[in-house]
Amino acid sequence: MSKILLIDDEEVNVRVLAMSLRSDGHEILCAYSGQEGLAVFEREHPSLVITDIKMPGMNGIEVLRQVKCIEPEAEVIIITGHGDIENAIEALKLGASDFINKPIRDEVLTVAIQRAEEKRSIKRQLREYTDNLEIKVCQATDEVQRKSNFLAKLIGSSNDGIIATDQNLVIVIFNPGAQRIFGFREQEVLHKTIITELLPDKLETLFSHPPDQNNRQALTSRQEITIEAKSGSLIPVLFYTTPLYEKSQVVGTVSFFQDLREIKRLENELVQAERLATIGQTAAGVAHGVKNILHGFKGGSYLVNLGIDKHDKEKLTKGWNLIQRNINRTHGLVMDLLSYAKERPPEYEPCEPNNIVKDVYEVMLDLADEHQVRIETDLDDTIGTVCMDPNIVHQCLSNLVSNAIDACLFDENMEKQWHVIIKTVLDDDRHIQFSVTDNGSGMPEAVLSKLFTSFFSTKGHRGTGLGLLVARKSVEAHGGTIAVSSVEGKGTTFTVRLPFEHECKADNGNG
Amino acid sequence: MGKKVLVVDDDPDVRLFSIAVLEEHGYTPLEATNGEEGMQLIRKEAPDLILLDVLMPRESGIRLYRQLKTDAKLKNIPIIILSGITRKSFLRSQKALTEFGGEEVPEPKMYLEKPVEPEELAAAIGAALK
Repeated sequence: MSKILLIDDEEVNVRVLAMSLRSDGHEILCAYSGQEGLAVFEREHPSLVITDIKMPGMNGIEVLRQVKCIEPEAEVIIITGHGDIENAIEALKLGASDFINKPIRDEVLTVAIQRAEEKRSIKRQLREYTDNLEIKVCQATDEVQRKSNFLAKLIGSSNDGIIATDQNLVIVIFNPGAQRIFGFREQEVLHKTIITELLPDKLETLFSHPPDQNNRQALTSRQEITIEAKSGSLIPVLFYTTPLYEKSQVVGTVSFFQDLREIKRLENELVQAERLATIGQTAAGVAHGVKNILHGFKGGSYLVNLGIDKHDKEKLTKGWNLIQRNINRTHGLVMDLLSYAKERPPEYEPCEPNNIVKDVYEVMLDLADEHQVRIETDLDDTIGTVCMDPNIVHQCLSNLVSNAIDACLFDENMEKQWHVIIKTVLDDDRHIQFSVTDNGSGMPEAVLSKLFTSFFSTKGHRGTGLGLLVARKSVEAHGGTIAVSSVEGKGTTFTVRLPFEHECKADNGNG
Repeated sequence: MGKKVLVVDDDPDVRLFSIAVLEEHGYTPLEATNGEEGMQLIRKEAPDLILLDVLMPRESGIRLYRQLKTDAKLKNIPIIILSGITRKSFLRSQKALTEFGGEEVPEPKMYLEKPVEPEELAAAIGAALK
């Protein structure tokens, strides 16, 4: 029920109406002039005002105006004289909720009050709803803002480069990580550049044919690519891209780039550190080699001294030969150590691999003859002039052939006719395979597994344990591989597979 | 004929050196290039002294040394080890082999580390044969 203010200058009217409305359960306030009514209104804040229109002093229209001014939500019902339609319209224009004609009939008044109450309650609900809506919109906006800030910070602080595009592949996000890698500032590419312009050509199809949405799991796998930065420098990155979908439509792409420069640098450092460690660890190995050589020199000078003292030419000759052999051993050890310790990038130049094999054959012929080993070549004459590092090929084959001769030397089976075969095969358009096969002693599994470890040698005084390490290192620097297969008692084959170019590029000289 | 001294070493230059010293001092040198060949010669010739290298391909000096020292008939032949590896490393290898389940063997009569002076070698041979 409502709190109702009745205003009328005729006290009787007020009393009758008040009685009737109180009996309906309303709380009634009474006033007998416009001024008094406003004073009560301001004090009591009734929800409904019923005022007579014609009153001395302040009339009903003025009361209505003032009430609406003080409390726009309050409802006002105007009581008009019979036929005073103009005032009634004026009152409605000013926001009165209703008007009732005199004489007032109870049922008309009841309906008017009900309508006023309904109107008020609808207004209140509407206001609450609007207020709530504003709060909810504020909360949602804050949340969206926060999430958006969070995502922006996430993208911004990622160490990896992140580039997002719209469906036309135009860049819309280019985070600081991407700026560091590619060398472009955000404003240089944003809304201007198509992502594929920054990437190697081979990736273009990846973007022109995004994977089916039903096949989202089968997105592009990570791959290592080299991108060209603004400065022109080539930068290795780990790259990954995925289309962005909205209701099964591709709306853009996002790509991630992990800068691999630091990792590559660390890898190189590690290789260097390993090399140093190998040398450190095996200083004992070198010391052993040096001690043996020194022992040889002492023996040689002893024999030379005996020869001089006794005029014994045989001793003199033996001693001098011994010294010369140890000079060679010193040379071999020092050269192996140097080439192992030294970082030497391949130097590519035009050369004929078959001619290198012939050179190695010539050089090794004497050594082979000395030990009754037959040495042969089997050359693929489709190999002509190619671009490779001839020194690496020469050094590596010399090493393998001298190993092969040693393997024959160590063979106990005296009935064999030992032989070593150097073979070349054009493996495919980009690779040549060199192999060195012997029918010497072969190697047991235990030896095979240690073959490429530093200073491992089964040759006693004959080996420094560095030869194969040096060979493998230079083959790998040339982008090739070295493999071995061996059967104990039957022989061994070393296979070296090296890549080549048909022609040396002008800038290839420094490797 | 002087006393028989067997030189076991895979390096022909080392054998040449040792044999020159032996001949110079009136001994009769014998030579073997590995442990296996050395064992055959020891059984056949019964040398008075053995000059033994440690690191050799195939039958190593370490194995030959342990075979000799655990053979009742041969364990009294004096042995001089002449090697590029240090005495400490050699003894460590012996200790490891003993712990691995082998019989404990006595230390060699003498241990010479390469390089060695001819006079030093001659003196060691003389002392070992006394």
